[in-house]
Formats: sequence, structure tokens, C-alpha cells
Amino acid sequence: MALLEMKNVDISYEGQVIVKDFSLTIEEGEICSIVGESGSGKTTVIRSIMGLLSGQGQVTAGDIFYDGQNLLRFDRAHWKALRGHDISMIFQDSGAMMNQTKRVGKAFVEYIRTHENISKQEAWDKGKEMLERMRLPDPERVMRSYPFQLSGGMRQRVGIAMGMTYKPKLLLADEPTSALDVTTQAQIVRQMMELRDEYGTSIIIVTHNLGVAAYMGDKIVVMKDGIVEEMGDRDAILHKSENPYTRMLLDAVPSIGGERFV
Amino acid sequence: MFNEEEVILETKHVTKRFLEEDGRELVACNDVNLKFYKGKTLGLVGESGCGKTSFMKMLVWMTRPTEGEIIFKGKDISKIKGKELHDMRQHIQMVFQDPATSFNPKMKIKDIVCEPLLNYGKIKKSDVEKEAKRLLEMVELPEDFADRFPHSMSGGQRQRVAIARALALEPEIIIMDEATSALDVSVQKTIIELITKLQREKGITIGFICHDLGFIQSFSHQVAVMYLGNIVEVLPGEDIATKSVHPYSKALLGSIFDTNMDFSKKIESIEGDPPSPLDVPEGCPFRDRCPDCGDDCGCVKPELKEIEPGHLVACHCACNNEH
Repeated sequence: MALLEMKNVDISYEGQVIVKDFSLTIEEGEICSIVGESGSGKTTVIRSIMGLLSGQGQVTAGDIFYDGQNLLRFDRAHWKALRGHDISMIFQDSGAMMNQTKRVGKAFVEYIRTHENISKQEAWDKGKEMLERMRLPDPERVMRSYPFQLSGGMRQRVGIAMGMTYKPKLLLADEPTSALDVTTQAQIVRQMMELRDEYGTSIIIVTHNLGVAAYMGDKIVVMKDGIVEEMGDRDAILHKSENPYTRMLLDAVPSIGGERFV
Repeated sequence: MFNEEEVILETKHVTKRFLEEDGRELVACNDVNLKFYKGKTLGLVGESGCGKTSFMKMLVWMTRPTEGEIIFKGKDISKIKGKELHDMRQHIQMVFQDPATSFNPKMKIKDIVCEPLLNYGKIKKSDVEKEAKRLLEMVELPEDFADRFPHSMSGGQRQRVAIARALALEPEIIIMDEATSALDVSVQKTIIELITKLQREKGITIGFICHDLGFIQSFSHQVAVMYLGNIVEVLPGEDIATKSVHPYSKALLGSIFDTNMDFSKKIESIEGDPPSPLDVPEGCPFRDRCPDCGDDCGCVKPELKEIEPGHLVACHCACNNEH
């Protein structure tokens, strides 16, 4: 059985269909990249899996199955157990998604204690250990810092550390490296790949960076205006695609030793 | 490959320091010496906070250097003011990163692109319609965009308007600060095609800030790599992939994700984040993250040295290996 199965999903905002007829199957340990230009609906898709559509957004047709259970029929208690435990999400700027008036450590302890009945001290140690695993220098200091006191790369690593605490089976990453410098981006991508290798985590990564999408994804989904333009394994999309939109996107990626304009 | 007589703008020992509230000094740019050649593009690459924007801002008088000179056609323009500054501004124009916030949202496109011309009395108010059409045509936008507002255009179209506005006064130099970073790759490509075409036609000198080495090498004649306020390497654009020797330039190159790369290979990059510009390490600024850091690097700051014509490097190890 596939880990995640989306069948003919339509997603609408205020009655208007934004994503049409989206189907996707993710196996255990598989990484899938969703690419497309801004406004193509790629973020909407992964938010729908988490039940985190903003505003009036809702799934108006189709089904989303996670491990055989229909996510669209979930109630609050089910979601609470699943989110952050079986399925985690990393946002574009994890720091901005945290409570700015709470120190990282406090937020981390609170998060761990929603899922596990342990003491604050144990939760603190567990959090610190996760930060250490993400190779954050001086995790004790990070735990005692406010999100705004950390650099973009550090905050992103805190976000990943939190997301990985319960070794989720599925990690949803929404533009996790877009706000970062190239060297930090390389570190974060490497760490996400290690998660798959160590824990067998499946990852869906949404990105507009085709280089990152190609490096990480076993499978690539190309979206345009809410519709899947093309879907296939990496090699098929990168080298054998005959879809004009996919080709246009790929040709536009600047490449070292590639096309020069001067 | 560059003719010294064609130097149009040169910065000499330009340093910018900011005083922090607690009395410490932040060195945003440290002794920057760069030359801009007529009709060529200088690309400035570096990570966020390395001082690349501070440097370019000094060239357009948005901030003044603490020390050093900026020579434009043989004249120091870093300290001019008043009428002289007003007249000089028309020769150096700028395009900003975010086209959504660099316009007055209440102005129509025709007024936006013609405002510089009106400011300098180059055209009459009655000529606005005609001039706007000419400028829009130059950046390959349809004429009827003249009556639109910025919010009813896409990011790529707005960036074209920003280019039209910067070119209106026919400046000799245009500074572009991450002018394509907010755009999708497909749009980025069309914008850069437009910029290089206009550069060839008009012989404009471009200073382009970017953090993407793969992108900048595709249209720059020379590339300068900046780290913590210091220029660590300058070399011709086409040689980046093959000839760069500074370990930081190599780390940047190693961090590039490319659709044609070998996916089985681990991505190579340097660990950690750059140190705060408030406490730059002594000696070589890069030594904390450098894989080949040696004994010299801790105490002596490497100078920018020419290792072959047009290729300068500030690194003890790289320079020693060459000789």
C-alpha cells in the first residue's frame, strides 16, 4: 500500500477551483518534487495534505489517503495525533512560523509534551539532542534564544529538527531553502537527504528551484495554473520530456558552462 | 581583455563603516577596489550580509563611503552635493530587487517611466504619452500598458518598467540590485536577454548584484566575489567554472544545484554560517570556514593579488600554489 495517495483532488478557494484533478502516489522512502512558477498551486497541494489550507480553501472533490485512512474525514483528535508526529511540515521561513515571544526551547518542550507524556526536563533534553543532530552549533544557546535572534539557516534547521523529532513517515517541505543563501541551501538539502537515508522518511518538496528539485526528487511533478502539466521519474522529466512547458522551464535554468548571453 | 582606457568608474579603497548603538563598528565594505569598464557588466556575488548592496548603494549616493574615492570619468564623485549631484545622478541609475515596492502605486506606468525625463526637463508634459510609448516599446511591452497601474502587472512586466525608467535618461551606468531574484526562472531568462540586448545597443555599463553564481556568470564580463565586506576574487565571467581558485568561490560553485549535474554525487559545500560582520576574524576573513586554512591565515590578512591578467585573488594558499 502506498504511504500517501491523492486521487483526483480539486481544491477551491471561495467557490473557485484553484487546483484541478490532482493525483499523486508516494511510496515509503520516496522523494517527490513539485515544481512550477509562482501561482501554479504547488503550495496549495501540500497544504491540503496537512489540512492547513488558508482562509476559505477546501478540498471539493477527490480523496486523500494516508496509510489507508481518508484524511478528509479526520476530526480534531485524529489530526492532533497525526500532525507533527506522522506527518510534519517545514515552511519557507520556519522562524516566522514560530511564536516570536517564546524562546525556541519553550516552544520545543511544548511541542514534545503534546505528543508524549514526559517531564519538561526530559522534553528539553530531547529537543536539545534533535538540534545537535541537525548540527546546530551550541544547541543550549539556540534553545535559550528567541527565533528572531537566529540566522535564517539556523531557524530553518530548528524547524527541521522539530519536524523530525518523531521521525515522521512523511515530511512536507514548502520552499524550505528559497530564503537561504546558496551555501546554507546546500547544507539543508544534504540534511534532508540524510533523513531519508537514515529513517526512510518520504518527502514532498515544493520548490521553484529546478536544480534542487532535480537533485532531491525521485519523482518530479510539473504544475502550471493549478493543473499537473507533467509527472514522471526524474530521468523522464529531465531528459525525455516532450512537454513544451517542461522544456521551457528546464531551458531557463542558468547553468555553469551553459548558455552565455554576452 | 579589458582596455584600461575604457574604465568608466573606479572605486579606490572604498570603505563603509556603520556605528552600532553599543559603540561597536560594523565594517560593511572594507577597502574595495573595483573597475567598471564601458559597455561591460560587473557581477558582484556573495551571501546575504556580505556588503554587496552597501557597496552598490554608495555608487548611487544612497549612502556615502566612510573612506575612499569613487572616480567617475576621472572625477571623484563620492563627496559631491547640491546641483552638481543632481546633474550627476542622471548618469548612474538603479533597478531594485522588488518591482512591487519600487514604484508609487498611485502613479500610472506612463508617469512612472517619464518622471526622470520631466525631472531633468528633457521633455514637456505634453510629450509624456509619446515618450512612454517609446520607452515601453524599448523594453518590449505593449503600448497600452502606459495607462495601467503597477499592481495590475506581473512581476516580470513590472521589472521591465523599472528597466525602462532607469534607461529613460540614457545613463552610462545602471546598477541592478538582485533585479531578477524575485522572478521565476523563465521570466528571469527573458529579462536577462532584454538587458544584454539593450547593453549591446547602447553600450551601457552594468553593475549587477546577485547571489546566484550560476546565473551571474551567464551574462557578466567580470565577476567579483565578496565575503564579509572584502573582495576575495575578481575574474572574467567565462572563467568562473574553470579558473576560480579562492576556496570561497569554489564553495559557492560547489553549492550550485543544476539540472545537468551528477545526482549520485554528494553536494559539496562549506559548513556553518559566515561570522557576524561585527566581529570579523583577524587575518583572513574566511579562515573559520576555510578547508585549507594554514598558519599565515590567522595573523596576516591576504591582499588582493593579480595572478594572471584580469584575475585577482586574496588568499595565501591559492597565491602560493600559483607561484
